[in-house]
Amino acid sequence: MTEPLLRTVGLTRHFRVGKLLSRQSLHAVDDVDLTIGKGEIVALVGESGSGKSTIARLLARVYKPTKGEIYFEGRPLSRLRSRKRRLAYSSDVPMVFQDPYSSINPAYRVVHGIARALRLHRGGLGRKGRRGEVERVLDAVGLVPAAAAARKFPYELSGGQRQRVGFAQALAFRPKLIIADEPVSMLDVSIRIGILNLMSELREREGVSFLYITHDVASARYIADRVLVMYAGHLVEEGPTEDVLQRPKHPYTQLLLSAVPDPRAELGVSDKTDVGEAPKVVDPKEGCRFQPRCPYAIARCETETPVLRELGTRRLVACHVAEADPQDLLDGNDAGNEQSVAGRVGRR
Amino acid sequence: MTATVEPTTATSGPDPPLAEARRGFGADLWRAVARNRKALAGLVLLVFFLVLAVFPGQIAPHDPQAESYLPGLGPSSHHWFGTTAYGQDVLSQLIWGTRQSVVIAFAVGGLATVLAVLIGVSAAYLGGVADGLLSLLTDVLLVIPIFPLIIVIAAYEKNSGLFTLVIVLGALGWSYGARQLRSQTLSLRTRDFLESARVRGERKLYVIVFEILPTMTSLIVATFLGGALYAVLAAAGLQFIGLGDPSSQSWGTMLYWAENNEALGANMVLWAIMPGICVAGLGAAFALLNYAFDEISNPALRMRRLDRTIRGSSKGDRVDVSVDPERILEVRGLTVAYASDEGPVVAVERVDFDVNRGEFLGIVGESGCGKSTLLYAITRLLGPPFAGEIMEGQIVFQGRDMVALTERQLRHIRWREFSVVMQSAMNALNPVLTIAAQMRDVCKTHSNMTAKEIEERSKEVLRLVSIDPIHLHSYPHQLSGGMRQRAMIAMALLFTPDLIVMDEPTSALDVVGQRSLMVQIKELQKRLGFAVVFVTHDMSLVSHFSDRLLVMYAAHVAEFGKTRQLFDQPRHPYTRALLEAFPSIRGPRVHLLGIPGSPPDLARPPAGCRFSPRCPHVMARCRSAQPPLFDVDGDLVRCILYEKGAAPDATLATASEGAV
Repeated sequence: MTEPLLRTVGLTRHFRVGKLLSRQSLHAVDDVDLTIGKGEIVALVGESGSGKSTIARLLARVYKPTKGEIYFEGRPLSRLRSRKRRLAYSSDVPMVFQDPYSSINPAYRVVHGIARALRLHRGGLGRKGRRGEVERVLDAVGLVPAAAAARKFPYELSGGQRQRVGFAQALAFRPKLIIADEPVSMLDVSIRIGILNLMSELREREGVSFLYITHDVASARYIADRVLVMYAGHLVEEGPTEDVLQRPKHPYTQLLLSAVPDPRAELGVSDKTDVGEAPKVVDPKEGCRFQPRCPYAIARCETETPVLRELGTRRLVACHVAEADPQDLLDGNDAGNEQSVAGRVGRR
Repeated sequence: MTATVEPTTATSGPDPPLAEARRGFGADLWRAVARNRKALAGLVLLVFFLVLAVFPGQIAPHDPQAESYLPGLGPSSHHWFGTTAYGQDVLSQLIWGTRQSVVIAFAVGGLATVLAVLIGVSAAYLGGVADGLLSLLTDVLLVIPIFPLIIVIAAYEKNSGLFTLVIVLGALGWSYGARQLRSQTLSLRTRDFLESARVRGERKLYVIVFEILPTMTSLIVATFLGGALYAVLAAAGLQFIGLGDPSSQSWGTMLYWAENNEALGANMVLWAIMPGICVAGLGAAFALLNYAFDEISNPALRMRRLDRTIRGSSKGDRVDVSVDPERILEVRGLTVAYASDEGPVVAVERVDFDVNRGEFLGIVGESGCGKSTLLYAITRLLGPPFAGEIMEGQIVFQGRDMVALTERQLRHIRWREFSVVMQSAMNALNPVLTIAAQMRDVCKTHSNMTAKEIEERSKEVLRLVSIDPIHLHSYPHQLSGGMRQRAMIAMALLFTPDLIVMDEPTSALDVVGQRSLMVQIKELQKRLGFAVVFVTHDMSLVSHFSDRLLVMYAAHVAEFGKTRQLFDQPRHPYTRALLEAFPSIRGPRVHLLGIPGSPPDLARPPAGCRFSPRCPHVMARCRSAQPPLFDVDGDLVRCILYEKGAAPDATLATASEGAV
């Protein structure tokens, strides 16, 4: 296999929590191996608190990993010593933030963030070249006429337009991978689709890969080639998007799917639903972290942490039940009748 | 607010171009200043004193120190303000004295601002021990009485001149500003644009100077103006009590000599009064500019009022519009407007709807369509700072006209008969009070329950929303997002009201939390029988829960009907567009376009049908006349396609679908 664009091995991040002398640690991300190929859109889905955003910040080098390593184009990030090398990485892997109302400095015109990025990372451009490049990236994200857009202040833009500015800033780096941390969750439903379309267009035209972080499985299905499901700091399932969403194997993936509101489904309310929440994992013991919420849990789930194993072509699942009995229990729980899964999850 | 349009995709379909960029920030600021009376008055005063300070030699009619006239002269055409006991011209002394006051004001203001910025911002940005020490220093300086300290220091350094005065005043005058700048920086520290700058690879110093400071311009200007004001007053005070250089030319020194010569009793009144007036004038200039700057940078401080044309019916509380006891809420011809610099903006226009007992009504639409305004209007929460007014219409709730009720009467029915659940629980809950304390506040305001009853009831409502009562004594931050939102609903249930109004209560939650909260609301509704008015931009969210749906577009009702019918057979092109705007987890993957453009600026709504600029089925007639609501099989639709009551499904073939 050729080396993917980005690969993590045992990526782990713990945060110390509690009082001054406490030794407790919060396991935000535990032992995550993920790969992102060139020109690929990978969706990372999970509930709030599952560690998705921590992964984004680890990849963007805002946090340092507690353990594990990130390889970018085969080179380990921990070896990036000089400021120049680190700058080169941040221009290869920029990030787009969740909240378009707080991610652009309100005191500057739109052009500021883009021009700074060009100055820092593409010094050879010169004044004229910079102006041309500012207009090119604004044009690429659909803010036209670009020259007028560049002169605007953030308060003159709508939420969707602001988020486009975020992508324009990222594009200015000539990136290889854009980390998009819930880029549409703060936007109106009616304009989300525009941002999602923009991401797939940028992939087509500029050849950029994306790590698309979201809790909205439907939007992940809309643009992603591959989906990674995260629960309480662990990856619990991964595979090609259609495969995972049509035939989810991990009970948590099934729960996530059942929560998606879908007016095209038959109207009606299931009487019970899961009220549990993704736990904060402080000093975890052995065992599956989803087990307390899982309708299928067996004795082994309490004592042994399941690891990702290959179940089917390009499918990885971390679940003892799915592994032992892939035909009987979990099969047939496709997206068609997940209401019943929600019911079963709730009754426990 | 701009009239710009949100382009949906870069390649598909013609993109509506962005409106030409406005004039620069400087031009905007200048217009704002020109419109603000306080700013103009302050500016005129300041310029007046600046001119005096820069050109005293050209303006003053006489030499200020020459004792060449008769002492103690009254005002005359030769000596406007008379002469001093030493035979000097008072007017000329005043003019020459301006320079020192202005220099002190700017020098001390500048010095105090620089210190405040350095200390406040670095304390907040560095954090840890540095923050602890710098904050301690700031706080110590804030609590010791400054003026006596200045007197002591100035007395020690007596006759030491302007430079010492500036240093002393500056060194003691920065603490208030530093504290404000520190807390502002703290709140900025976690903002994404700073993280974005760090991810970009900016250095620390760049982030502080070029990313943090520019966003605090208004606070820094306020610190400067406040410092300048304080310096003018303090310097005059010190010189008046003789702690300055008595040979210097300043207003304070004039006061000192006037006092020494008992000017007030000796027919030299103007010698004593005029320096005081000048001090007050320069001080007023800085104070006015400070107020004006606050107002310009924070428009919510400007109070505007609208003239209401019609208020609700008679002053009485019972009206007999609603005869049907099943009809709990009836809204008729409701029009709500906000005041703005460009005239009134009508955010809700002639809206009619009703809610039956125990019903779940969804109100959907994009941001800026007036749905939140509608909600604030029916709950009478439009007061400041929202500055919206009900211009017309009736809101009949359980037989009372809500529009006519006084605040006092409202307090009787709020929470007891209807309650409100706000969008973000983190903002709506008080972070420094426990859930128990907040429930107690509600109960005490709206009833005379005993402490024990309140405790019991609080536990009961928490159990209702499946929160363990041990969380009663938790603070909001100790609960997860979903639990906070549940706690809000529990508070709304304290008096088992007949109607609960909810403003996007799930928008801060992820899909799993959203779904479980919706199911919970529906379950409670079944058990307790209250009616729900639920506002959201996500139509799919309410699809399984609401009985009827009201679709709003640009202040109008676009469509109103039974939920099932609306989803199976959406009639208004806007409803269709909303339904096709989000991807599904079922069926074939299709390419979606969303809704091109964005809702209109309500200050300048389009002529004719308000959806016409974005409508795929627009006809020439749509652009000229506003369509009324047509009744189509009990479904109300504002679209001329339904003029004849028919359902022209052939014309509404979905235009935006195509396989990926």
